Amino acid sequence: MRVLGTRVGLLLLVLGAWELWAGRQDPLLYIPPSKVLPALVRVLRLEAYPTLPEHLWLTLVEVLVAYALAVGVGLGLGFLLGLPRHVGEIYEPILAGLYAIPSVVWYPSLMLFFGLGPASKIAFGFLLGFFPVVLAVLTGIRSVDRQLLTVARALGAGRGTCFVKVILPAMTGTLLAGLRAGLALTVVGVIVGEILGARAGLGYLINYAYGFLRTAEYAALAMVALTLVMAIDGVAALAEGRARRWAG
Amino acid sequence: MRPQSPSQDPAVRGTILVMPDLPDIEVLALAKRWVTRDQTVPALEGISLTVAPREFLTVLGPSGCGKSTLLSIIGGLIPPDAGEVRVTGRRSAGPDPRKVAMVFQDPGLFPWRTALENVEFGLELQGVPAARRREIARGLLEPVGLRGFENRYPRELSGGMKQRVAIARALALDSPILLMDEPFGALDEQTRLLMGEWLLGIWAKTRKTVVFVTHSLQEAIMLSQRIVVMTSRPGRIKASFEVALPMPRDLNGPEATALRAALWAEIRDESLRALESGL
Repeated sequence: MRVLGTRVGLLLLVLGAWELWAGRQDPLLYIPPSKVLPALVRVLRLEAYPTLPEHLWLTLVEVLVAYALAVGVGLGLGFLLGLPRHVGEIYEPILAGLYAIPSVVWYPSLMLFFGLGPASKIAFGFLLGFFPVVLAVLTGIRSVDRQLLTVARALGAGRGTCFVKVILPAMTGTLLAGLRAGLALTVVGVIVGEILGARAGLGYLINYAYGFLRTAEYAALAMVALTLVMAIDGVAALAEGRARRWAG
Repeated sequence: MRPQSPSQDPAVRGTILVMPDLPDIEVLALAKRWVTRDQTVPALEGISLTVAPREFLTVLGPSGCGKSTLLSIIGGLIPPDAGEVRVTGRRSAGPDPRKVAMVFQDPGLFPWRTALENVEFGLELQGVPAARRREIARGLLEPVGLRGFENRYPRELSGGMKQRVAIARALALDSPILLMDEPFGALDEQTRLLMGEWLLGIWAKTRKTVVFVTHSLQEAIMLSQRIVVMTSRPGRIKASFEVALPMPRDLNGPEATALRAALWAEIRDESLRALESGL
């Protein structure tokens, strides 16, 4: 209760300061909260952008497709490289190195390959979401206590049983954290992709409002994007909690 | 397969009386070396050993003498480079939990499983139905003083408790042979002695063949019917002692003291060599 009160207080303080400060600046560039609220109402009532639901839907679909690809390829490649001993050790530095390159540098080439449509956004979301997943699998496999595998073998477990009953449960925590980080980055990738160049999607709308100096609407759309990200992360947190309980 | 409790069935007991007991474990001219990047280290050389059914044999040696490697080879976890291992008459190829159960210094409990679920693991792999294996696991945890701890996770248990769960997990397999690799090595002296007493109780009841690896003279004298001393790297068998003292043993009595002196005489040089070679 006290934490909540402090949070609300802090938020009001920031908003108040913002209001006071922005009121004295160029109204075209600096928007006080009192102007964002009406813009938000207009956006949500679909008065400002009647096609907002379609754009939102497109972004959501791009995120889901990109994430499905990131998880599928990330898990597949991770286990392929991680399970045979030593192979993971060879490839992990390469993957980590690629991951360290600012991913935005890939985006122009993705646009050239996949065009201005959803495909390039999906590709970029995939690229960002894929690395945390594959690295989590590699780290997870490597961090499995060897003694547990020795014990399992002595108790009669073969390779398959060791994988299902020892390696998977032992790496659940690392894997789930990687899957969640991957989802967050996929969302970022898709929206950034849309902002950098698109004809539709939430990022496109944000870029559009910003380009026409409709700053209040831009801020309102940014809040919509924030809500979308938080909603997706909320679902992910729920799923993670369930998976952890299931894995014990 | 060898009958597990011969005394229950007179016919089975008859056959055992007629036929001389074949050794449970035969190790013949075993050798193993470890190959690292820049050198080859011989771990074991020319090890031959037999263990009779229901015998309690202790392998005593300085650290790094390859006694754990020997146990892992007998258990089928590591293949030997030369020589062979026969377990109840058959050449062993890989772990066979129906014949051999193993306990290690690191108990290796699965942290996501409760004590009870850990004990059930081997039975689960053998396809024993859930209700039955639960019953067996409960029956094993109770006599080891872990009643009321069945649903605790390993992180909630003390070192001695964890090792008892690991031993219960090995006993659940109901195999005739139990291999123990310094099972109490990580415990404090008092707990160690108590666990030794407890293990003797288990051994008296189950009459398993036990091969027990340790570097503790005290433990070896307390538990064994026979003690073999290994040399430092490469590990060879240096001496063998029959221990005929009655149980429970007085570790400070004259016989025990004499035995300890004899064991120490054998092992002192080996420990010194191990120390000097930086093991």
